[in-house]
Amino acid sequence: MNVELTGLTRKFGRTQAVAGVTLEAGPGVFGLLGPNGAGKTSLLRMMATVLPPTSGTLRLLGRDPGGYGPRREIRRRLGYLPQTLGYYPGFTVYDFVEYFALLKDMPPGQVPRAVATAIEQVGLGDKARVKLRTLSGGMLRRAGIAQAIVNRPELLLLDEPTAGLDPEQRVAFRALLREFGQRATVVVSTHLVEDVAAACSEVSLMDSGRLVFHGTPGELIARGEGHGVGDAPLERGYSAVLAAARS
Amino acid sequence: MTVTSAPARATPRQAPQAAPRNMARLLWVELRHNAMPLVLPLIAVIFWFDSYRIAATLPPMWVVRLYYILGQGHALVDFAPFVAGVAAWMGSRDGRHGMGDLVTATVRPRWEAQLATWAATVIWAVGGYLVLMAVTLALLGRAVAWGGPPWWPVAAGAAGIAAFASLGFALGACFPSRFIAPVAAFGGLFAMGTASRIGFSAAGGWALILPTMSNGNFGQDAGIFYPWLPDLPIDRVVFAAGVAVAAVGLLGLPVSAGGPRLRRSAAVVTATGAAAAVAAIALAFTAYVGHDGTVIPALHDAASDRPIPYAPVCGHPGIPVCLQPAYRPYLPDVTAALRPVISQVTGLPGAPARARQVAALFAAGSAAGPNGVGQILTLSGNPPALSMPLGAIALPRSFGADSASFIGQLKVEAVHAFVIPGGSYGDPAQQAVEAALLQNAGIPLATQPSVLGATPWPLMNGGPRTAGRYPQPVAAAARRFAALPAATRHAWLAAHMPALRAGQLTPGQLP
Repeated sequence: MNVELTGLTRKFGRTQAVAGVTLEAGPGVFGLLGPNGAGKTSLLRMMATVLPPTSGTLRLLGRDPGGYGPRREIRRRLGYLPQTLGYYPGFTVYDFVEYFALLKDMPPGQVPRAVATAIEQVGLGDKARVKLRTLSGGMLRRAGIAQAIVNRPELLLLDEPTAGLDPEQRVAFRALLREFGQRATVVVSTHLVEDVAAACSEVSLMDSGRLVFHGTPGELIARGEGHGVGDAPLERGYSAVLAAARS
Repeated sequence: MTVTSAPARATPRQAPQAAPRNMARLLWVELRHNAMPLVLPLIAVIFWFDSYRIAATLPPMWVVRLYYILGQGHALVDFAPFVAGVAAWMGSRDGRHGMGDLVTATVRPRWEAQLATWAATVIWAVGGYLVLMAVTLALLGRAVAWGGPPWWPVAAGAAGIAAFASLGFALGACFPSRFIAPVAAFGGLFAMGTASRIGFSAAGGWALILPTMSNGNFGQDAGIFYPWLPDLPIDRVVFAAGVAVAAVGLLGLPVSAGGPRLRRSAAVVTATGAAAAVAAIALAFTAYVGHDGTVIPALHDAASDRPIPYAPVCGHPGIPVCLQPAYRPYLPDVTAALRPVISQVTGLPGAPARARQVAALFAAGSAAGPNGVGQILTLSGNPPALSMPLGAIALPRSFGADSASFIGQLKVEAVHAFVIPGGSYGDPAQQAVEAALLQNAGIPLATQPSVLGATPWPLMNGGPRTAGRYPQPVAAAARRFAALPAATRHAWLAAHMPALRAGQLTPGQLP
């Protein structure tokens, strides 16, 4: 298993953002659904090793990120796209992706090709020399995805990756996710259930810091039959599970 | 978005020798995206206006021209606020752009990434300073005929720039916001303003470490008669480098900066930098002002005390007059000043047989020689020789002086050296004879008080310099003595010089 979470908890003062989440995930695309404030981003930040858990155990790629050495090894194999993408406006797309390739300690000889490949994969090849400050929101998101995948990670954590992407880009991105999911664990936190339906082999649903559902998209759809509210089958399953959890 | 199938491969592992190449590439990326070069043209304009423009009007000697730029630290004053502000802007970059999570989730410790940004910032700031100094020295040096510029003060300035850049960067990294740059710039301006004020008032001790403190550090005849003493600039380099290193080390101390080993290294770096800065201040307390400048025993090299050999340039206004070649442009003024004096005293007991320039010595403390040697013109030896420390006199084009005031002061000092022994004010009879000789040397009695005002012997009842006047008995005796035929005056002086010098005469005894 690439991701093993046991009773994972994170508190911010008196607020419990993540409340005893236990989860395992192997290679494949893993969807993380939930309403605003459910704790998805906090869970992803803990998995990205930037936020230590308050309690519980966390093993990523077979290593405990609590130790400095193992944490470095995890980060070497990690790709992370935060919910709010920070970027340096004066950098070009190429510089931005190269910057993170270097910070990820990739062998210098492989950096140029890896950067070019990542930029091509997100469809920004013709914008490689354009400064980030001139890009649209969707293009910035794609630049963020490029920096996340530049090291071809074994664990790819994407927080709202399709926010701002147009439908055509979103379709292409899902294909990219499926390709990565063949050999790596991809965790996608999203509000968009169609992303989950199209790309994810497994899905979890969080509410108030707790995991209230874990299964396949088909199982989530089944939960909503005749019960849930929504236009799509997955939306009905989503609302049915939430309603059940809150009752 | 398109999907391209990249070949599946394992996550590449870093070879140990690749890390420096990665850091070098990271530095290159940071150099290309640093904000410092954007502000360098503005600094250059301010430097030209505040420093170079003034230095270029000063006499063509390194020690005089660079006194303002390096001695009083104006180059650093011009650079520091901007460097600190831009460095704070760069240091706060990750925080302002919300890059914390992204950078933290990478393999490289946060501190290493910050070091790359810091290094790029310092390289641009120090590089800009060095380029500007190189251009400045090249332009200023075109008119300088002797010696070379002092390199250690230039290095001290570069270290000071690095220190301000590091402090600003650390401030920005610790308190990231869009307001941190102006705060750091104002802090730099305030620091330099305070340092300048202290530099003008303090005489020594810890204040010597300030780059704006010129006391005993710059001026007189350094680099002309004797080498520039590097003691204090070296101490300042140690201090500034220590501050810079400590500031950078501080960034590596937080838990988020990296692993335990790296944080231990950061602690060692911080402690080393702080120790160096404290040691430099401690060394400044041991400093004293010697003849040739500030001496710090622990840093002093005896080789720096050896005089610089030279072949003098000479004129002959009645006696041989020889100057150090750096003063060649002033030989006509010196001969013009001495000619009317020499013509009156030649053949008298104690009259100078030759005149030679000597090194001006630092006057602070007890370092200057007895009876004003090294500060004023003195007469000594057998046959008597007039020693002229021209470096202690305001040269034409410096400090508001012109050729006439320079000549006038030389005349006063030459006559004074002949008439009044020991560098004192002299008694009334001596003052009267001095005034008469000066009148016949071309300085009317009425204007003598203003000329004397620029010497160590301004008139006692002066008030404003130009309003000063001789006491009535002195003025009357001077007028009477000056009105005598030259031969009569010469004969009287030949007979009475020993008694006059011994203070045994009164104004009433003058013919």
